[in-house]
Amino acid sequence: MLQRLLPFWRVMFLLSLAPGAQAADKPPAPSSFSGQGLVVHAQTRTPDQMTAFYAGRGFPASMLTPISHVCFLTVSLRHTRRDVVWLEPSRWRIVDAEGNPVPRLDRDFWNRVWETLQAPPASRATFGWSQLPESRDLQPAEPVGGNITIAQPTGAFTLEMHFATGKDKKGPEIVGSIPGLVCLNPSGNPAGMGGS
Amino acid sequence: MAAAADLPPGLMVRDGAPAPVLRLTNVVGEITDLKDLRGQWVMVHFWATWCGPCRKEMPTLQALAKLLPPQRLRVLLVNTAETDDDVFAFLGLVAPDLDTLMDRDGSVTEHWQPRGLPSSFLIDPDGRQRYLALGGRDWAAGPTLAFLRQITQPPAIAGPGNGR
Repeated sequence: MLQRLLPFWRVMFLLSLAPGAQAADKPPAPSSFSGQGLVVHAQTRTPDQMTAFYAGRGFPASMLTPISHVCFLTVSLRHTRRDVVWLEPSRWRIVDAEGNPVPRLDRDFWNRVWETLQAPPASRATFGWSQLPESRDLQPAEPVGGNITIAQPTGAFTLEMHFATGKDKKGPEIVGSIPGLVCLNPSGNPAGMGGS
Repeated sequence: MAAAADLPPGLMVRDGAPAPVLRLTNVVGEITDLKDLRGQWVMVHFWATWCGPCRKEMPTLQALAKLLPPQRLRVLLVNTAETDDDVFAFLGLVAPDLDTLMDRDGSVTEHWQPRGLPSSFLIDPDGRQRYLALGGRDWAAGPTLAFLRQITQPPAIAGPGNGR
């Protein structure tokens, strides 16, 4: 599904046209959702933050280019419920201010990018472990955190989250949203708000 | 195995499947093979210097290693996909008494499939996975330490004069 929305080579082509990372503004303050025994914090990261983070771990320049041109959202989640909560970012929706969906770039997407770039296994491993899991049955009190990546949205966007509950996913669904998130584009301006 | 009621928060019972292969070197090239550690409890702890909870937890692992001798619980750190320099600089400051194995390309971590970093597997003396710690914690205090003391308690040996 995602692959159809976001053909890999088109993305790579668009990324190659985007300008390089420059000094960015301060990262936006984290936003959160709290309810039904669940607390989720989300914070967008600047391109500088992300390229510095991965460059500091020895990532080659070829890997830093695509990293600098997508939007990273660091998400942490903790629940105090007695049942299992299912973390499944594939069921989440990211929508811009006009209600248009913003594609999430999942592990398959990044695996294809790293394959194309012949990325070193250690860097691929580090990138993978720094991402939010694609599917996880969160046990009571189990914390989880990591990044999700999305295509640069236009303006502010909303993260709409859906969580199944219960071991067999038959418990009541938890729905939450975090509005007003803003990504900074590679030139340090809010994406879609006059950035270069 | 300890009863579920004794489990401290954030520990999960595993199914007792044999632990995956783990044979790695530390930064000076000394090999450790998990299968050579049969007969004792082993904690296999996956970590990375960039991981916030790992950084917070590491000093407590050093404290734990002092509280429980290695014959009772051997703590095996496995660094995921970082360099000797990263690890040397970090451990030297945060937990200088600890050594770590180096999973240089991340393949061993991938094979073990921890639920994230940090993750700690508790392997019983028969080499089976018994518990998994979810996320970071203080290993050297409270119910977690009490639990470790309980499961690693050597069996009492009845000898002359012990029976009543």
